[in-house]
Amino acid sequence: MKIKQVILIGLLLPASLVFAYLNGRDGGSQPIAYNHNMHVQENDMECLDCHVYAEDGARASIPNVELCRDCHEEASTESEAEAALLSYVNDNRRIPWRQINVVPDYAYFSHRRHVKLGELDCVACHGEVGEMVKPVSEPFQEVTMDWCMDCHEARNVSNDCYACHR
Amino acid sequence: MPKWGMVIDLNKCTGCGECVTACKVELNVPVVGPEESAKGRTILCMDILSTYEGEFPEVKMRHMPRPCFHCEHPPCTKVCPVRATYKNDEGIVAQIYPQCIGCRYCQVACPYTVKHFNWTKPEWPEERCEALNPDVSVRPEGVVEKCTFCVHRLQKAKEQAAVDGRDLREGDYVPACVESCPTKAMYFGDLDNPKHKVSQLKKSHRAFRLMEDLGTEPKVYYLSEVE
Ligand code: HEC
Ligand code: HEC
Ligand code: HEC
Ligand code: HEC
Ligand code: HEC
Repeated sequence: MKIKQVILIGLLLPASLVFAYLNGRDGGSQPIAYNHNMHVQENDMECLDCHVYAEDGARASIPNVELCRDCHEEASTESEAEAALLSYVNDNRRIPWRQINVVPDYAYFSHRRHVKLGELDCVACHGEVGEMVKPVSEPFQEVTMDWCMDCHEARNVSNDCYACHR
Repeated sequence: MPKWGMVIDLNKCTGCGECVTACKVELNVPVVGPEESAKGRTILCMDILSTYEGEFPEVKMRHMPRPCFHCEHPPCTKVCPVRATYKNDEGIVAQIYPQCIGCRYCQVACPYTVKHFNWTKPEWPEERCEALNPDVSVRPEGVVEKCTFCVHRLQKAKEQAAVDGRDLREGDYVPACVESCPTKAMYFGDLDNPKHKVSQLKKSHRAFRLMEDLGTEPKVYYLSEVE
């Protein structure tokens, strides 16, 4: 029993170190090392240019090749990340982005309600994403019910279970 | 505060079952196999009670669509040890699935037998999985399910009204069963708002509620058949 555990740790530890190294080098948990800062800060793009439904829909939406193609038909940088993107764009394959902020199916969350009606800034819930040079790999605010309710209470918004649950 | 309720005109109901199907699809109600079904474990958040009167060949069939009645004095909520079921300010009897511990007290307490326990992990034929309603959760195994008056439609309707900068209007929020009825036998709205059709119909001399003597005060009214 003991020996087996030692062997297991002996195998897993180097493996996880290699994984961590590779992870840090490219997109982390995302398929491409997407860089918000380069688009938002350096190239003056707006959040809504890419997350097109963040004001008028329940889901903000994560853009994919149809949108990236507008500017990335051919390489404009030397970056590995852009090369990776171009292979998706040229093959017209979908980029399998992993959604990081997730509300379970039994709760209703709508961006329109918060961004348009509540006039909340993206930063209030997602932090300074626009300054991130690496892909979003963990939520700025862990999506918990307490988080929703604390803000609702502070702003006098309904906390009836059936406001959110379904 | 509105008080949501329904009126079903039995004179217009043909027992076609469209509401039952619409409900099943809308609420992602799982289909149970024949074995489970034989044990009485079929889940129908909207059901049609059919009765036969008279003797052959003079048989008369009567139909009664039966959703949850969203009682003003619901017996089911009083027995819930964890407040997973309660009546909210708008009169809807809620069932908060992740809060439900599956004790089934509420199912037993309901005199109308409209609460259903799901004994098995929900399953659908493969081609249906893609078409599940994204606005409604798929319940985990082991909780009590029921008609929610399609509260997910209310959540959306409220938001739309707010975007349009107005109050909720009659017809903005209507459950799937009411919407589906081909003979328009079902009405839905605010029972306390004199402008809403339901508040007028509930005063009809034909209006009655099931087992009124229990004092549960259902918010689903029936209009009796005219002979
Ligand atoms: C009140 C808090 C809040 C605000 C304000 C907010 N978000 Fe979100 N965002 C969330 C939550 C919660 C989720 C997870 C939603 C889900 O799983 O449906 C999310 C998910 C997302 C996602 C990924 C999933 C999706 O909806 O497509 C993107 C992209 C996103 N937000 C972008 C934005 C942008 C851009 C803004 C500003 C215009 C913004 N958000 C404002 C809370 C917020
Ligand atoms: C409106 C134009 C525009 C759109 C749309 C756009 N980008 Fe870019 N992108 C740029 C510009 C400009 C640069 C910087 C290029 C440079 O410096 O020459 C860039 C650079 C990049 C790089 C290289 C980053 C690095 O580390 O060097 C990646 C990767 C990238 N974009 C991914 C995407 C993805 C993924 C999408 C679609 C979701 C997208 N872009 C959509 C304009 C755009
Ligand atoms: C050029 C397009 C583009 C622009 C502009 C852009 N984003 Fe993004 N955003 C993406 C892409 C692609 C992803 C997925 C990769 C990632 O997670 O970094 C993403 C992911 C996110 C996520 C994480 C979603 C999740 O939960 O998985 C948030 C939050 C977000 N963006 C917010 C913003 C905000 C706020 C702005 C404006 C300051 C903004 N984005 C501007 C393309 C863009
Ligand atoms: C930073 C503050 C904040 C956070 C965090 C937040 N909300 Fe809200 N929420 C608001 C505000 C403000 C409104 C009212 C918007 C308006 O004026 O219509 C609102 C309204 C709502 C409504 C409509 C309520 C009604 O009266 O019908 C729902 C549903 C909702 N939020 C769900 C959520 C969920 C689910 C979460 C967590 C995942 C969440 N909210 C997190 C601020 C917040
Ligand atoms: C403002 C929106 C909102 C309201 C109001 C709300 N919930 Fe939730 N609830 C959520 C969200 C979002 C989650 C998912 C959180 C997560 O993924 O951890 C959740 C999760 C839960 C869970 C799962 C356990 C957990 O904490 O992760 C339970 C149980 C629950 N809610 C019960 C209730 C009850 C009971 C009420 C009424 C008293 C209520 N909720 C009111 C948004 C809400």
